[in-house]
Amino acid sequence: MENNLMTFSSMTAVMKARELLRRNGIRAVTIRTPASLRRGSCGYSLRVPQRYERAAELLNQHNISFVGASTVDDR
Amino acid sequence: MMYFDNGATTYPKPQAVINAVMTAMRGYGANPGRSGHRMSLRAAETVYRCRENLARLFAVDNPENVIFTYNCTTALNTVIKGVLKSGDHAVISSLEHNAVVRPLEAMKEQGVTYSVAEVTEGDDEATIRAFRSQFRKNTKLVICTHASNVFGVRLPVERLAALCRLNGILFCLDAAQTAGVVPISLEDSCIDYLCTAGHKGLYGPMGTGVLVMRSDVKPDSLTQGGTGSFSSELRQPELLPDKYESGTPNLPGIAGLNAGVEFVLSRTPERLDAYEMRLGQRLYDRLSGINAVRLYTARPEADTHVPVISFNIGNMDSEQVAAMLDRHQIAVRAGLHCAPLAHQSYGTQEQGTVRAVMSAFNNEKQIDTLANLVNNFVKLNEKKVAIGDSNVLE
Repeated sequence: MENNLMTFSSMTAVMKARELLRRNGIRAVTIRTPASLRRGSCGYSLRVPQRYERAAELLNQHNISFVGASTVDDR
Repeated sequence: MMYFDNGATTYPKPQAVINAVMTAMRGYGANPGRSGHRMSLRAAETVYRCRENLARLFAVDNPENVIFTYNCTTALNTVIKGVLKSGDHAVISSLEHNAVVRPLEAMKEQGVTYSVAEVTEGDDEATIRAFRSQFRKNTKLVICTHASNVFGVRLPVERLAALCRLNGILFCLDAAQTAGVVPISLEDSCIDYLCTAGHKGLYGPMGTGVLVMRSDVKPDSLTQGGTGSFSSELRQPELLPDKYESGTPNLPGIAGLNAGVEFVLSRTPERLDAYEMRLGQRLYDRLSGINAVRLYTARPEADTHVPVISFNIGNMDSEQVAAMLDRHQIAVRAGLHCAPLAHQSYGTQEQGTVRAVMSAFNNEKQIDTLANLVNNFVKLNEKKVAIGDSNVLE
């Protein structure tokens, strides 16, 4: 399954990443991190339903650390 | 009430600040980002928005480098106590506030020493020489006010920061009196730490302060605790801003501060400074025309001062003058303003000074009212002294 989730270490990083993606026209929804991925996470993740690869590229370019994951629950 | 105590805290606040505090309290007063529900998320968004706006105001590219504190004093303590260790030496200016001096005095017990560099008003070269002459091999940190909270004198902080960088010394700017009215850029300067209050020139509520720092010069954290991140780990996280933001943040305060920073950004610090400086100059000119009034600085100008006007009436106790003004609905501050070193420099440590500081909400009519009142008061006292009336205060 392809990645569609980004987990972060801090809430500030979540906000920073979401704002960066928004400015670049990529929709990202803040969700509670699934239990299986919660260790080391701030408890929130971004679900990026489309253009995930581009989103990851942008975050890497701006030195925003995240861990990519996939989730079955993609409602 | 005509309010000129803006150096202590600005009043009134913009209506948008009051609305933002109320909305946060009433509409989404949850713990920011900790709890998973939508109110918590909205609170976190507000906190982040404020971080972003502050990063924009101080030209920092990363909002994570903006740390919320409870006031400027807490921010300064974080730097001073988090950077300096036994055997280290610090240099401060002769115009520093007790928020800088007292933490350093307390650290003497831990083997930290400090020296004071004399500021020469109107001669930046002399001030810079004074700082340089205090540098030692173990000097680790310079803490310097951007402008005196008593006399409004600006220091050449960009040049001092550059000098520190050349000498491998960290530079901490106390911008309590200048944030919001004097443009400050961390990107274009060698400032390592910027400390300021949220409730003065940024028009936020009391209980808000800000520390902005470069990522590679992290002090130790003064407090440790819950951050909402790395919760399974027992050690304090190193990442910014979490390292310095343990415990529940002041959401209503930060919401208000965000509205205050937006107020400043929309008007720009340059325009606010120009407006307030005109008022400050008007007050200075009016007071300088009254014989009994003592002013302590050169006429304030944008490059050399901020509009902080300190004065006295003859040898009269500054507190008595402030009390008289208070009876006539004018709020000023008198005394030492928590800056005894500055009063030593200007010879006012016994009398203190009466201080009037401008904000965006003052106007020329208020300035004239204050000046007229001082003038009338002086004349009345001269008359009473002439007829031998000992009760010279009205």
